[in-house]
Amino acid sequence: MGSAGMAAFVAFVVGVTTILSLLLGDNPALFGEGAGSDELARQLALPGDVLLRLVAIMITVSILIGIANLLFVHIGRLARGKLYSAILLASFAFTIYWTITNKGDTSLLEAVQVPIESALAALLFISLAHGGARVMQKRSDVWGLLFVAVALIVLLGSLPLAELAPVKAWSDWLMAIPVSAGARAILLGIALGSVVTGVRALLGQDRAYRG
Amino acid sequence: MDETTVQVYSVLFVAITVVLVYTARFFGRRRARRRLQRQLAGVDQIPQWIAQGIESSMPLHLSFGGAGVGGDSTPAALAGAEFFHHVIGRAKASDMSPIVTMSAPATVPLGQDALRRAWPAGKTLSRAQWYPPDLAFAGAVAASAAAEEPAAHIMAGRFGAELALMLDSADRRGQPSLAVSERLDGQAVAFAMADHVLIGEELFAAPSAVSEDQGGRADAVVLDVWRGLIILGATVLLMLEFSKQLPLLSWPLVATVAAILIALGAFAYRRR
Repeated sequence: MGSAGMAAFVAFVVGVTTILSLLLGDNPALFGEGAGSDELARQLALPGDVLLRLVAIMITVSILIGIANLLFVHIGRLARGKLYSAILLASFAFTIYWTITNKGDTSLLEAVQVPIESALAALLFISLAHGGARVMQKRSDVWGLLFVAVALIVLLGSLPLAELAPVKAWSDWLMAIPVSAGARAILLGIALGSVVTGVRALLGQDRAYRG
Repeated sequence: MDETTVQVYSVLFVAITVVLVYTARFFGRRRARRRLQRQLAGVDQIPQWIAQGIESSMPLHLSFGGAGVGGDSTPAALAGAEFFHHVIGRAKASDMSPIVTMSAPATVPLGQDALRRAWPAGKTLSRAQWYPPDLAFAGAVAASAAAEEPAAHIMAGRFGAELALMLDSADRRGQPSLAVSERLDGQAVAFAMADHVLIGEELFAAPSAVSEDQGGRADAVVLDVWRGLIILGATVLLMLEFSKQLPLLSWPLVATVAAILIALGAFAYRRR
């Protein structure tokens, strides 16, 4: 068995163990009313718990991978003379120094990060408004028109004006029936896609295991 | 519905999906299934973008957004990795390797792996780039896009409203974009602002639309079979409900209306 075959085999064993453990464990009712059903359910839940805890540890470690990647990419860019990368690396080093010398003080974060994120959020509003205004340029068909009409009705319906009560009724109906139905349809499709992708990974057929 | 029943249904659902995947893959190997697979309008432009990138030595920008391995967005991350693998494989004649960005640290190895496997020239370590999530990610990607000048942006994964910043930045630079998000707010922004858009589960069918991989096509067929079954089931349930609530409504009338609705749905589906 090659390394790809071994990876697929391990993925299959771990995947099947976890899914069976999650589906069958912690529910003694599945195993009848007998005295041992509680213990059996607990035993079945154990492998799933252990594997999920391992995943949590791996995700924590992956944050270090992310930071290492960020530093590696910007050190490479610094070598090509990029000023922004120099600022990023200097900021990183200074923040580490500040946090260590000031015993976990987060005032730097609040003074720099929060205003910058707020400014980006304000910019996001402008981008969204600009994008909304250009919808008909990008999608000059009936669906684009429908999108703009619904967006306008919902926006007008959210205004606190008594004169716009009929529009608010329309807006409420749109949100409750067609928008809700469409959102559920999209989420249902994503859920189906997730199951098929999960099964593909479970069967060791994912690209990562095929080599 | 009690917990035991839900668990039994879940086991059955997964088991049926496994059987369907195996069946579709078995028949997929024996027949040419290309004709059966639906066309995804959004991915038609990708070969053209790749050709432009090769001609002008400009990289493609591929982004997972916040899709990460280990959380509830794991399937989106895996589907994105498969999609990107095929796109990168098609672009391997270029001298500039694509840039892959993500905001979930656990996706860095996945992006790195997609690049390493599909890009034979190597030296891709710094092309998978992680940035902090949400607005910071959008700002960093917009800045990175300004520096690298990609030929096109393909964003497939988990994005929220911050996608607007990235798409607006791409639009101002005249860089085409394709976007799909598993989050509804990101999906709405993608529909409004991206040049091309995939909707919902098309994220999971996209890998098979850009590759000759029979297995991927079989998975897309399974997705369509499940979707068809759910639509059929919902239609039958609605008809039963109508026939109970409205005694004056005749069965032939309900059946005719349902047939018209299904035909309209099929027409819209083919047009898309």
